[in-house]
Amino acid sequence: MADSLQGTLDLLILKTLQLGPNHGFGITLHIQTASQGLLNVEEGSLYPALHRLERDKLVKAEWKTTGNRRRARVYTLTAAGRKRLGEAEESWTSLAKGVGRLLRYV
Amino acid sequence: MKNWFRRRDRSQEIHEEVERHLAMRAELNCAAGMSPDEARTGARRQFGNAALIEEDVRGVRGFPWLESLAQDARYALRGFARSPVFTATAILTIALGIGASTAVFSLVDRILFRPLPYPQADRLVSIGIVAPSVDKSEFVFADAYVQMRARQTPFSQITTFGFINDCDLSEQNAVRLRCAMVESTFLPTFGIQPALGRNFTHAEDQPNASKVALLSYSFWKNRFGGDTGVVGRSISVDGQPTNIVGVLPRDFELFNLSPIDLLIPEAINEARPGNGRVFRAFGRLRPGVGVEQARAAMEPLFEEQRRTVPPQFRKELRLVIRPLRDRQIGDMRLASWTLFAAVLVVLLIASANVANLMLARSASRRREWTIRAAIGAGRWRLARQVLTESVLLASIGAVAGCGLAWLLLRFFAAAAPHGIMRLDQASLDGRVLLFAIALALASGVLFGLAPALDTPAASMAAGRTVVSSRGLLRHVLIAAQIAASLILLAGAGLLLRSLWNLEKVPLGMDTERTVAAQFVIGRGYDELAFFTRLEARLQSLPGSPVYAISDNIPPYGGFRGRPFFVLNVEGRPPFPEGTGGMVGWRYVTPGYFAAMGIPMVRGRAFTEEERNAQEMPIVLSRELAHRLFPESDALGRHILSTDKGAWHTVVGVAGDVINVGLERRPEPEYYELRKNFPDVTYANRQPGVGWRGASVIVRSPLSTESMSRNLRGILAELDPAVPVTVQTLQERASTLTVTPRFDALLLGGFAGVGLLLAAIGIYGVIAFLVGQRTREVGVRIALGATPTAVTRMFLSHAAGWTLAGIVVGLAGSLAVTQLLAGMLFQVNARDPWSLAVAPALLLAVALTAAWLPARRAARIDPVRTLREE
Repeated sequence: MADSLQGTLDLLILKTLQLGPNHGFGITLHIQTASQGLLNVEEGSLYPALHRLERDKLVKAEWKTTGNRRRARVYTLTAAGRKRLGEAEESWTSLAKGVGRLLRYV
Repeated sequence: MKNWFRRRDRSQEIHEEVERHLAMRAELNCAAGMSPDEARTGARRQFGNAALIEEDVRGVRGFPWLESLAQDARYALRGFARSPVFTATAILTIALGIGASTAVFSLVDRILFRPLPYPQADRLVSIGIVAPSVDKSEFVFADAYVQMRARQTPFSQITTFGFINDCDLSEQNAVRLRCAMVESTFLPTFGIQPALGRNFTHAEDQPNASKVALLSYSFWKNRFGGDTGVVGRSISVDGQPTNIVGVLPRDFELFNLSPIDLLIPEAINEARPGNGRVFRAFGRLRPGVGVEQARAAMEPLFEEQRRTVPPQFRKELRLVIRPLRDRQIGDMRLASWTLFAAVLVVLLIASANVANLMLARSASRRREWTIRAAIGAGRWRLARQVLTESVLLASIGAVAGCGLAWLLLRFFAAAAPHGIMRLDQASLDGRVLLFAIALALASGVLFGLAPALDTPAASMAAGRTVVSSRGLLRHVLIAAQIAASLILLAGAGLLLRSLWNLEKVPLGMDTERTVAAQFVIGRGYDELAFFTRLEARLQSLPGSPVYAISDNIPPYGGFRGRPFFVLNVEGRPPFPEGTGGMVGWRYVTPGYFAAMGIPMVRGRAFTEEERNAQEMPIVLSRELAHRLFPESDALGRHILSTDKGAWHTVVGVAGDVINVGLERRPEPEYYELRKNFPDVTYANRQPGVGWRGASVIVRSPLSTESMSRNLRGILAELDPAVPVTVQTLQERASTLTVTPRFDALLLGGFAGVGLLLAAIGIYGVIAFLVGQRTREVGVRIALGATPTAVTRMFLSHAAGWTLAGIVVGLAGSLAVTQLLAGMLFQVNARDPWSLAVAPALLLAVALTAAWLPARRAARIDPVRTLREE
């Protein structure tokens, strides 16, 4: 249970990267916009999470020059990351379903 | 190390990534209409504490503890730089402890711990019988050995060693060599493979086989330049063609560490019944067989042997089977352990001192600790900081200590050139350095533990006042130091008393102004003619000195021996065969007693006239005269008949001379006269060196240097190839006490260092107390306490803890000095003097050390301290 909640940030990151490679700032922006401002990722948690994912080989990172000739560390989903994303989505859905049922139960 | 650099790169990378993030955010803010400044501050504000986040990101990777360890170390180093006096004192103290320990370890490691250079050396044992009056070490007779070899079961292999003799390489550039005679099974039993060629075979190890030899590695290098074609070549040894079959490996080491040049077959004559040749025997235990089992298995064989010796002799004999190392180190074991233990105690005292220093320092850092604890440093984190500091101190101390150890080793080598086994091999190699590192870590943790457990987080959690507990700890440390110093002092006192007693033992001769030269002439000489020529030269020496020639001289080294029972007395029935042990004898010229300064107790010395006469005069030592003629006068009596029935006549009785070490009463001796012609004694030359080995003794009012020079000159003139050892008798006698002197010197040194450290410790604690109680003392003085009363207050405080330490130390000394008994000579291990002087000295030093700061307390100005309130 606690694991699932802590894994939420990982899930958000992996899901964002499914759309394509992105850098940390881009990921923050995407999560904010996609959730229409409901989810606000703190940088203090984002970067440790990104590096943890990289350490676990779920994403890989390299320095790239972005559109307007700026260098940034860009993260890409790996095959293992894709697999993990599938599992995480599934477990999140069941968690959400479970929590939903519990809340509806009066 | 590589990892370390990669981590630095990664830190850089993380930092850059964060910076990029901030830049992008700022850009976005700009686009939203903020000024560039506002945009940047906004970005930072939103991001939060960038440094902290970077730290967290770094923490994801690898070894966060390593990172923070480096941080701790940096912090500790900055702290050391801020308090240089504390740092220098601590490092010096610990360097002293680790340096001395490392030096002594490098010495005793070779003796006690390092495996001997043979495969499975722990399976090797020395086997033999011991007869106290014959030889200190176990030996076997040839015939008994041959039987034993055929019937023994506990050993996979046994072998013999037949002693080392001088031999001559009799070719061009002739040199004197050391030839070791061994059985063909010697190398295989010890597990030694020749570096080149092969071992000699059983067939080559027979009395009439053609001669073969193996070369030592250094002899091969020096004489043959390491030529691999040397195997199969023939050399001439003592005039006999000898075939080189192999070369010994470079690290070859004889069990008794003697250097050798050639290894030759000992060729036991197995056919000869009752062959009484003496050997040293060694065996390799079968797997699973212990020394005790081997002894039990050999006992029946030994019992058979014992039945063949005369009954009076029997009970003296003992079967000995012991590990090779035991045989090798003999009585060095106790001394080695003693020095090693003593130096570790010094290290403990040093550690206690540093612990006390650190406790004092942590008292002055109390505020800093409290702040760190208040802003969230955990107890473990603070304790780790203290431990990092202590281990760091110990490590720096260990580096300095290794330098000190190197110096100490050189000092040891100078203090005891030949007295200490394997001293020449001792060096600071990897194994010793590992030991130093282990010591540094152990002592670092040891002296860091007390202050580490005493961090404010701990005490705040416990909710108690810190000062009292720390005060108690410091005093307990002091008492422990006192106790340990006392044990060292008591031990050193005993060894010094013992040494004093040894130095006082009368040698029985006068060693002043006398020089002796020892040599063995080559086989090619007519020995009688050589010594006649030598005497002619000695006569013409300047300063008309007293001179003599003997085959050997006291106070140590071998002398010829005969069984006591052959000394029959005219008119008495012969002694039963095999009784009375051994009697020593020497073969001397008339000047011997005068040159050696041995007094004649009765009668006279030999005369020159007697050297040409057929009569056989003899001089007895006082001990022997007493044993042969307990109630009557020995002078004029006839003893020791020859095969032809001629008797020796006793013409004099000489004083006893030390001949088997200072610790033992002199063995009985007699003297025979060197004649000017080959008489019975001369003809009865013994195997081995025969009469070729000799000592020349010269006593003269001239300086010993010029006498040595003259003596060398004469011998070089007669034969420049003969190696000669020239020593003054004083030098020769002083080697008897080299080892006890070395032991006493070292233990005394350690005790002195321990005492000094304990004194510094007491000084520190009392000074600290005085500082802490300044205000209280000010009030006391204001209320009328006299300076004497104040001083006494601190002194009695110090005296209390010192006495506590002394009581513990005395109990410890009584227990520990008992173990030293084997090293003591004419001193009881519970010698009341040593046990009384040591505490008195310690108390005096402790009170002086306490008095210095206490006196300062008495001078406190109450007005000033109270004004500071």
